[in-house]
Amino acid sequence: MFVIQNALKSIARSKGRNILIGIIVLAIAISSCVALAIKNAAAESEAAGLSAVKISGSIAVDRQKLLEAVSSSAGTDEDGSMDMGSMQEIMAQYPDLALDELLGYADSDFVEDFHYSETVSLSGTDDFVAYGAEEAAEAATGDEGNMRTGGFGGGQFGGEPVPIFGNNGMSMGDFSITGYSSESAMTEFVSGAAKITEGELFDMDSSDLSCLISEELAAINGLAIGDSFSLSNPSNEDEIYTFAVTGIYAGGDTGETGGGPQFSTAQDPANLICISYPAAASIVSNSESVGTSVTDIQGYERSSALSGQLAATFVFDNKADYDSFAEELGERGLSDYYTLSSSDISSYEASLVPLENLSGFATTLLLIVLAIGAVILIVVNIFNIRERKYEVGVLTAIGIKKGKVAMQFVTELLCVTLIAVILGAGIGAAISVPISNQLLASQIEQMQTQSQEQNQNFGRPGDFSQDEGPVQSGNGSFPGTIMLNAARTDAGYIDQINATVSPAILGELIGIGLLLTLLSSLAAVVFVLRYEPLKILANRT
Amino acid sequence: MNTGENSMSLLKLENVGYRYDSGNKILNGLDYTFEKGKMYAVTGKSGAGKTTLLSLISGLASPTEGSILFEGKDIKTIDRYHYRSRYVGVVFQQFNLLPHLNAVENVTLSMRASGKKFPDRQKRAMDMLSKVDLDENIVRRRILKLSGGEQQRVAIARALSYDPSIILADEPTGNLDLNTQKDIVDIFKRMAKDEGKCVIIVTHSPEVAKESDEIYELAPFSGKAAALG
Ligand SMILES: Nc1ncnc2c1ncn2[C@@H]1O[C@H](COP(=O)(O)OP(=O)(O)OP(=O)(O)O)[C@@H](O)[C@H]1O
Ligand SMILES: [Mg+2]
Repeated sequence: MFVIQNALKSIARSKGRNILIGIIVLAIAISSCVALAIKNAAAESEAAGLSAVKISGSIAVDRQKLLEAVSSSAGTDEDGSMDMGSMQEIMAQYPDLALDELLGYADSDFVEDFHYSETVSLSGTDDFVAYGAEEAAEAATGDEGNMRTGGFGGGQFGGEPVPIFGNNGMSMGDFSITGYSSESAMTEFVSGAAKITEGELFDMDSSDLSCLISEELAAINGLAIGDSFSLSNPSNEDEIYTFAVTGIYAGGDTGETGGGPQFSTAQDPANLICISYPAAASIVSNSESVGTSVTDIQGYERSSALSGQLAATFVFDNKADYDSFAEELGERGLSDYYTLSSSDISSYEASLVPLENLSGFATTLLLIVLAIGAVILIVVNIFNIRERKYEVGVLTAIGIKKGKVAMQFVTELLCVTLIAVILGAGIGAAISVPISNQLLASQIEQMQTQSQEQNQNFGRPGDFSQDEGPVQSGNGSFPGTIMLNAARTDAGYIDQINATVSPAILGELIGIGLLLTLLSSLAAVVFVLRYEPLKILANRT
Repeated sequence: MNTGENSMSLLKLENVGYRYDSGNKILNGLDYTFEKGKMYAVTGKSGAGKTTLLSLISGLASPTEGSILFEGKDIKTIDRYHYRSRYVGVVFQQFNLLPHLNAVENVTLSMRASGKKFPDRQKRAMDMLSKVDLDENIVRRRILKLSGGEQQRVAIARALSYDPSIILADEPTGNLDLNTQKDIVDIFKRMAKDEGKCVIIVTHSPEVAKESDEIYELAPFSGKAAALG
């Protein structure tokens, strides 16, 4: 009580000194408050972002890892170059997982849903042509240079379909026929990007060749609900499949993914034909049974049978389940060369980059402010205490213990500091949201300028980054519910944070205030404890 | 030995000597006793070590030789802050008042520091200040704006305010005119006679010395005396 009373009286007496200290602490408190609010908001966005959101993931061979393993093993020649034979051999040991293996893993308690699709590529027939086929043909004949892209996809050459080979030597047709295991596998329809406008969905469990076609295909081929059309195996014109149209859809992926040049009409979303998984499976098994040996344009012997591309997706309730499942895969004996990955997670992580940068900046700012603040406060306090030397002498001479005198000085500083910290928290709370968003905006701008420059270096148009961003659209369905605490730019960056001052931050600030006070008054305490009253009084002139 | 209440002196110096850190020895072999209810005068030339002696008695410094007993206990062994704040009232030669406080605040600060309970601290402080002839107008002024004599009287009021059993005064009348000097000496005398305090006054004035019950003449330490001639 005695100490506190003296401290308060002393504060009131020396206003100038205390206002100076107050202003210093206020500046420290405001900047610390903003920095803490930013750090906190960034951490919250990171933590909250994926914790309560469904995540889809898939298992794939980790080629990078495999490559590393091959190059570090005996697979290198004496000149250091890769031995392609052994490379392919090892690659062959780790094929994409088959459906029944995937189904086995999907049994896991962590997996909320599992869906898959199989895509085969078929060619048009006289009565059914692909959307955009003429343009592709024109491009192919008009520009000789384009011919070289043939290795990647299909096209028409001189009006006749020419089998062109994909990555695995498989021939590509003009159409993608995708068989879905369930409605949830039809992500475009789930997200609302695509919509059935006429007719209805085919029977998911039936292997009948009933299908949904796009409005564009229906229009150019003059098809209506109930009509049917035929497609053929690109490698075997006589292998014909006839499909019945049960529905027509609009929308779908509008082909802007990546914005790059299109290599094949089959990649045009308008040429996507949706069927059930059993139907797709029946096409593949039928094709296998009738397959013959053919020679491709590169002179290799191979089967004419169609092969399907399996795409399987595991859906998890939240990030924790996703992580647990990834762990479980290893426990269940899946080789390290297969990894579970999720575009939801990678795109979310990419969207956090500016926020993380900002958070790092905030941490640096906080440390610098605290260091400078502490030094200033210590210096100011040492000057103060020298001025108050005589006071210390008198107080101790009239019998007040040194500890109490030191306590009084610390209390004085503490009161001033606390008031300044609380004031600073108030001001900080008011300005932390606009300031942090401003900082975030400049951070994003900087990143966009960077990627823009990068694009220009690669000879791509500069403004590319605007639609591309760091988020590869992939399956395109980034869950909108993620933004609990944050909003995102077109480029997918989080550009709004809710940098509010919570009680926790207030607590941290008060902690910082206490720490600074104790640190800077240490000088005062040492001084008071070291001197004898007699000496102080004797030295006075 | 001395066990009876009457025979135990309040304060007893036993062969006390003091040497400053710098090496010059000021006091040597002092054997003084101070009783309750008496006024003592300590005299001696300037530089004889009178102020030094008071510092030792008030516990601001410790004797380098011998010991000082307060109520039979060596003050080295007791809490000297506690001792100083409750049992000893000092009127310092340099007053040692807090310049930014006014007279009343200076007095009440010491009263609070003593930890003793007073029914009305403000009133007691005012009473003490009016006893040393300081009026209302002066006691509300900051110490900085008081004359030397006024400051000296504030220092006296402060030393008496918390009812200590020993009152030490270092030339308490040095800055005062003869009339005021007489009033102050009367106050100290009454403190000893009526309230049973032990009053020790350092003074150069023969009039003041004459009023006291006993005079201790502090001879300069022999070594130094020889040097002085
Ligand atoms: N801190 C110190 N260090 C060394 N010597 C000191 C110190 N303080 C005082 N002295 C010396 O001790 C001697 C006694 O000093 P003291 O103040 O006790 O004298 P005094 O009798 O009170 O004199 P005065 O009548 O002038 O007040 C002096 O010679 C002084 O120079
Ligand atoms: Mg003296």
